[in-house]
Amino acid sequence: MAAVVTPVLTAGIGEADLRDIGVYRKRGGYAQWERAVRELKPADVLEACDKSGLRGRGGAGFPTGRKWSFLPKTDAPRYLVCNCDEAEPGTFKDHMLLEETPHLVLEGMLLGAYGIGSHHAFIYIRGEFKTGYDIFMAALADARGAGLVGKDLFGTGYDLEVTVHRGAGAYICGEETALLNSLEGKRGEPRLKPPFPAVEGLYRMPTVVNNVETLAYLVPILEKGPEWFASVGTEKSKGYKIVSVSGHVEKPGNYEIALGTTVNEIVEIAGGMRDGRKLVAVQPGGGSSACIFEEHFDAPYDYESIAKAGSMLGSGAFVAFDETTDFVAAAHNMVRFFAHESCGQCTPCREGGHWLETVLARFVEGRGLMSDLEMMKRVSSTITGLNLCALGDSIEPFLKSVLVRFPAQFEARVLRDPFETPTGVRSSGSSG
Amino acid sequence: MNERIEAFPALAAELKPQCAAIVAQYEDPRSALLPMMHLFQAREGFVSPEAMRFAAEFLDLSPAVVESTVSFYTLFFRRPVGKYVLQVCRGLSCSISGAQAIHKIFRDRLGIGHLQTTDDGLFSYEEVECLAACDKPTCMQVNLDFVYSLTPEAIDGMIAAMRGGTYATAPMAQTETPGKTWKVEQGGEVATGRKSKGARDVSAPDNPGGLGDKAGVIMLDRIVDRDFAFRGRTDERVVLERPAQIKELVSEDASH
Repeated sequence: MAAVVTPVLTAGIGEADLRDIGVYRKRGGYAQWERAVRELKPADVLEACDKSGLRGRGGAGFPTGRKWSFLPKTDAPRYLVCNCDEAEPGTFKDHMLLEETPHLVLEGMLLGAYGIGSHHAFIYIRGEFKTGYDIFMAALADARGAGLVGKDLFGTGYDLEVTVHRGAGAYICGEETALLNSLEGKRGEPRLKPPFPAVEGLYRMPTVVNNVETLAYLVPILEKGPEWFASVGTEKSKGYKIVSVSGHVEKPGNYEIALGTTVNEIVEIAGGMRDGRKLVAVQPGGGSSACIFEEHFDAPYDYESIAKAGSMLGSGAFVAFDETTDFVAAAHNMVRFFAHESCGQCTPCREGGHWLETVLARFVEGRGLMSDLEMMKRVSSTITGLNLCALGDSIEPFLKSVLVRFPAQFEARVLRDPFETPTGVRSSGSSG
Repeated sequence: MNERIEAFPALAAELKPQCAAIVAQYEDPRSALLPMMHLFQAREGFVSPEAMRFAAEFLDLSPAVVESTVSFYTLFFRRPVGKYVLQVCRGLSCSISGAQAIHKIFRDRLGIGHLQTTDDGLFSYEEVECLAACDKPTCMQVNLDFVYSLTPEAIDGMIAAMRGGTYATAPMAQTETPGKTWKVEQGGEVATGRKSKGARDVSAPDNPGGLGDKAGVIMLDRIVDRDFAFRGRTDERVVLERPAQIKELVSEDASH
């Protein structure tokens, strides 16, 4: 496959003012929404979604159609929640979609809500995205004014209300059950699963939580057909994906690619490495993912191949590191992030994250212990898999991957002075 | 009584219809809590105790529940802040592209550190987690307006414009003089800005070796080491700690 960018969701961004509802509609915007309400049954939308092979673009990569199919087949009220709490380190695609093409985000939400038979959709926007919130509110008002949101849509008797909810600073609210708690006006602490949101979600009603990018893809899938989407990508990873490329590349940015494009090709698309340096590591799926190295740079960028390489595709945050990277500082940075954002409910995550950060902070200052190296590799078994949500499980993958790969960088930060304690207080000659 | 508190009933009366409109958007009134707090913070510059009490009454919640919820979110300031809240990214992508040098410039120019406010009440400074603008490092927000690709010159220009009152982004409302930090920590401890502090600063973690310190070494041993898999590290620590212990023994002897 050639290293090419295929703008689907990103089409028109930077060329036209897609915030303008007139411009958006002229390019075919809201045509699928109107067609769905007038001509399609909700089951048709679900079928298209299922057939397309679309998988969740927020991080977990769960098949979207299957997620919807878990909803009970009753008449009980159900909700669609669009997750725009993008805060995974290295990810900046939803931020762009929200600010640059808010109507596409809205149309995707509307289609999703229709597909699951909901009459009330919510979008949870990260608190920091104040500008994006204002842009989306304006877009929603325009859509409402054009009769695209509200009661008796297109004279069919179908009602759909949209509520915009702004977060207030909490990475954990991107986790779907924490998001629902936050939407209910509570602390953003994840819930025990099961019950899954599809059974008992918002206000204890069946709820589907989908990422912005996932929902937005419903628009081209309905327009061009699920077969079109499924014809692109690899066997189990269909369609396109926006990859947020950052780090030591020449041209960082959002690039929409067919899944299965290789890691090397993505770096090439982003202009290659900065200053002609060498690529030594890639964090392929956000802060929660382990690094992959040289032996996997020709691997296709899709869910299975990246998992096989020992990491995950996650949210599509692609951070490239060159040979000048201080991986001790990088590991400390990553662990500090999770320690900072731990909600504190589960002990392994709350304590494990903080202690690991403390130990790594010592390494950054050149006061690590030799035995810490082994300990840090093994500590994961007492943190990972023991928490309510995946945040605790995310602390260790990046750290472990770089620790195993670049042991020399860590060993170089081990305490050499036998008269100094790890806390930095010299034992000998101190006043006591 | 300060002017803000005196003016609060009028503010609450003014915002009440908006609060009612927010409540009407949701199936459960409690969902209106975050939007209401945003509303009050926009007017008062921080989420005041009066605003929390008002929300509690309005939504029929206990004040403790409201404060607990508000305290969870880092964008709600429970104490007054500066007119310009400068939140500079410290995420990994910015960090490997020189964010630390940018942080140092801010700290030097403003004379304050992380989570602090300048004495004149103009600036509050915080180093925040990934802001989702990793393609334009180092990024930051000024009162939640994004600023991208920071340079030393841009920072100098920004700070000068804010001091001169010509900066494009509007200053935050300021109804009370801010203190040194806006963070509320328990027991008068140093602000960390974390959702959950963990047991970071326990002064004497219970440990069999009697060598507890604040560095977390022993605590990790206890988490990790069920079968003394890391006995070696305890030995290592004994070696490290020995000079102090010997010194203590010596001084004890001397007192007899």
